[in-house]
Amino acid sequence: MSQQISRREFLKLLGAGAVTTAALSGCASATRLVKREPYTSMPEYTLPGTSTYYATTCRECPAGCGLVVRTVEGRAIKVEGNPAHPVSQGHTCARGQASVQTLYNPDRLQNAVRQAQRGSGKFDPMPWDEAIQVVQDALANNDPDSIAFLLGLESDHLADLVNEITAAMGARAPYRFGALGMLDARNTLVMANVLLFGHPGLPVFDIAHAEVTFSFGANFTETWLSPVFYTGAYGNMRKGTPGQRGYLVQFEPRMSQTGANADEWYPIKPGTEALVAQALGALVAEEIGIPTEGLFADVDVAAAARESGVSEEDLHRLAMMFAQSQRRVAIPGAGALGHTNGLDAAKAIMGLNILVENLGKSGGVSLMPESALGNTQMPSTLNDLTSLVEKMNSGKIKVLFIHGCNPVFELPAASGFADALQNVPLVVAFSSFPDETALQADFILPDHTGLEAWGYQKVSTASDRITLSSLQPVVVPVQDTRATADVLLAAVQAIGGDLAKQVPYENEVAFIKAKLEVLVGEDGYYAASDANTLWARWLQVGGWWDSDALLIAPDLTHAVEVLQKQPSALPAAAFSGDEAEYPLHLLVYPSPNLGDGRGANNPWLQETPDPMTTVMWNSWIEISPDLALELGVCDDDIVRVTSPAGSVEAVVYVYPAIRPDTVAIPVGQGHTALGRYARNRGCNPLQLLDIQKDASGNLAFAATRVKIEPTGRKHQLARMEDRVGVYGDRYGELYR
Amino acid sequence: MSETAQEKWGMVIDLDRCNGCQACVTACSLENNVGFVGEESAAYGRGMHWIRIQRYWEGEYPNITARFRPVMCQQCGHAPCEPVCPVFATYHSEAEQINVQVYNRCIGTRYCANNCPYVARTFNWFDWEWPEPLNEQLNPDVTVRRRGIMEKCTFCIQRIRKGEEDAEAEGREVADGEIQPACAQACPADAIVFGNLADPESRVSRLARSARAEKLLEELGTETKVIYLKGGSSRDR
Repeated sequence: MSQQISRREFLKLLGAGAVTTAALSGCASATRLVKREPYTSMPEYTLPGTSTYYATTCRECPAGCGLVVRTVEGRAIKVEGNPAHPVSQGHTCARGQASVQTLYNPDRLQNAVRQAQRGSGKFDPMPWDEAIQVVQDALANNDPDSIAFLLGLESDHLADLVNEITAAMGARAPYRFGALGMLDARNTLVMANVLLFGHPGLPVFDIAHAEVTFSFGANFTETWLSPVFYTGAYGNMRKGTPGQRGYLVQFEPRMSQTGANADEWYPIKPGTEALVAQALGALVAEEIGIPTEGLFADVDVAAAARESGVSEEDLHRLAMMFAQSQRRVAIPGAGALGHTNGLDAAKAIMGLNILVENLGKSGGVSLMPESALGNTQMPSTLNDLTSLVEKMNSGKIKVLFIHGCNPVFELPAASGFADALQNVPLVVAFSSFPDETALQADFILPDHTGLEAWGYQKVSTASDRITLSSLQPVVVPVQDTRATADVLLAAVQAIGGDLAKQVPYENEVAFIKAKLEVLVGEDGYYAASDANTLWARWLQVGGWWDSDALLIAPDLTHAVEVLQKQPSALPAAAFSGDEAEYPLHLLVYPSPNLGDGRGANNPWLQETPDPMTTVMWNSWIEISPDLALELGVCDDDIVRVTSPAGSVEAVVYVYPAIRPDTVAIPVGQGHTALGRYARNRGCNPLQLLDIQKDASGNLAFAATRVKIEPTGRKHQLARMEDRVGVYGDRYGELYR
Repeated sequence: MSETAQEKWGMVIDLDRCNGCQACVTACSLENNVGFVGEESAAYGRGMHWIRIQRYWEGEYPNITARFRPVMCQQCGHAPCEPVCPVFATYHSEAEQINVQVYNRCIGTRYCANNCPYVARTFNWFDWEWPEPLNEQLNPDVTVRRRGIMEKCTFCIQRIRKGEEDAEAEGREVADGEIQPACAQACPADAIVFGNLADPESRVSRLARSARAEKLLEELGTETKVIYLKGGSSRDR
């Protein structure tokens, strides 16, 4: 506990019966005057024993779920969903629930620090005015071309502000990166949307009303795009429409939690998703009597069946089911798009939607209209990030500001980002935690965590209407942190001149208020006739959204034309690693509990069992029982996993629902920093990935092959399930 | 002992909506100040989860699927845990018709846990730590338990009391859906419904009359207050 007087201790003090009014010194800020008051006249909102609720937005992933946080006497106690919010609809996921442990995490940075030697972990505290001076000097004394910002996928208000600053300076627009975006294959999906519909955004899939859903590797109840929204949609797909139980078919090499809930699960060969979609499309077109042109012309169904492992009989039956149902949707998920032919797979799978003309319809595919605050800036492609790494290596980047992401941990080692950092003279990280990237910085100027922060998130997908979600602090900052937007604005104001005129905001809140002016008088969930009313309602309601569901129907004619011009012979997926030396496909997926790894220092996320394996506090490699017998390994054996790009050690979990030629490792563990609960636990499979891209420039994260060698050592995984009787009688040897 | 237990609070879990996402597990732990035990203790089975998702594999590759079932204290009307407690720490609340645990009385004999057919009770083998400032997150409405104490799901009785007191202060009945335990509130699939089983018109009562309704180990006559709605078959092709 810091030596400052916390709200709670303060209440203890006044419990002693002090009725006189006094100013206490030693509080966090000189401007904060604390008065002793009797219980009978407490400050507004802080009646002892009474909860106060604040609406805000979750920052544990980019989805932008609306929260209502219960606070008691100045402490954040419980995260709940915002019932009025179109994304979360009153619910939360495990990661959102645990965000109070991000806020009160014992390993947070307590103030701004200077790190004399990068990687040493020896931090010298520095006052905030010096920290702002560092930013000011960096911005003022460097060529704008040599300054780069690397931002995370949340919050959007900071991305908007940095875009304004870089535009005013003539510097490069910020890069945006997050492992969740990378492992969702967001860029590929956006690119497919641009090519097919001319829309630079993500599609929205109306799973809730679909009778038949074909999901190609979309783990939408776990981490994909917006898990709370899509899990709600899943529940309604099953039971939301009286007399209808939606049917889910999942195609993926390793059974995800979403796949476990599917009515039919097909373990197709990695990289053959496009072939399956093409075959289904050709059969669907035949069934509904439309000519097959372009992408779906002359498809060899027998060959697709042979390649993918789905029988011809099943393909015919599934195509009939899709063609004959009233509302059907096909989802191009991350597993399908994370291959070198990912963009083709996206087009082929979206092609199924185009064939059955479900665009803009109930149970179909729609697009998110542009909000009054503009479109969300999409994540940078791996191509963009590779060019950033090249610029860093060639010495063209003198200053790198990093906020909201942990690229040293989240980017594959093969990308060379960590090494390139050494060639940047000044690295400033704004991380709230001493994570792997922050440890490679010269200065760490910690931002507030989500529950202490102002901001907004422009919901880019997974809502049925335009949604702007607001963030407000639910408690005063726990540590001596400062909002990155405030730090940047203070530096800009100190620089003065044209820059300060073009970015004239006094602080973060002034910036947000200025952005919100366009909403004054707009008709939505509420209408506010003036800026102050809007601000009050914005904070009270938790954002701004349309009063009615409203999405755009994609342009069918254009999409059909594109598909007609597309040749039906598609390139096969390419893999890194020779098949003879590296016989196994590696699949990495974000851990449903830990997400991209930032949750790894939240003890309750560590102790929440993984949905499929029930493992806690560690990571593992999923190996099919047959492969385990072949390799002579069993549960809890440590094996060495080697790819052309790297090598890690992982503990075996014999997983009965994975192809024998595929192994899978969750992303999220394997931290060397971040905090006591995260450090030295499990492995980080991103270090195994070779750099392979698809046509959109996104990382083909499923395109690396590996080999496995037993080490002879064991580590007993903490799992909730019993160890005996899980795999059936054939595999008795696995119980050794 | 009467043949049929009295009814009040009950819960329906629709296994066709539940997809095993674990949001309820985390929500419960954070609402109820459930301690986290770390990897070693978790591997020894000392995890303190009041609710767990049981995952069952069915079939063999490639015709395999997994099923999920959230299990917490079933709040039996005839509870096997109650008569074995030598100090009346676990007893039946006549007012709320649920099983409650009085931490101050518990002396840690663990008879109740041994007699629970649902393995719903967890025992504090150690004092678990919340390093500062993690302790700021603790819910002031819920006692923090010490070493040697048995604990389990309470249907979030602090929320039930709060709802009842609010309703009483306003001179009205508790509205259906007004009181929600943390698990039901968090559930993104809306699989968990909580309410008053004594009111035949409540949402939970209507769902409990479904043809899909089943209870865990019903043959034991425990008169549980948690009703599961069977999931649709995924293997009927």
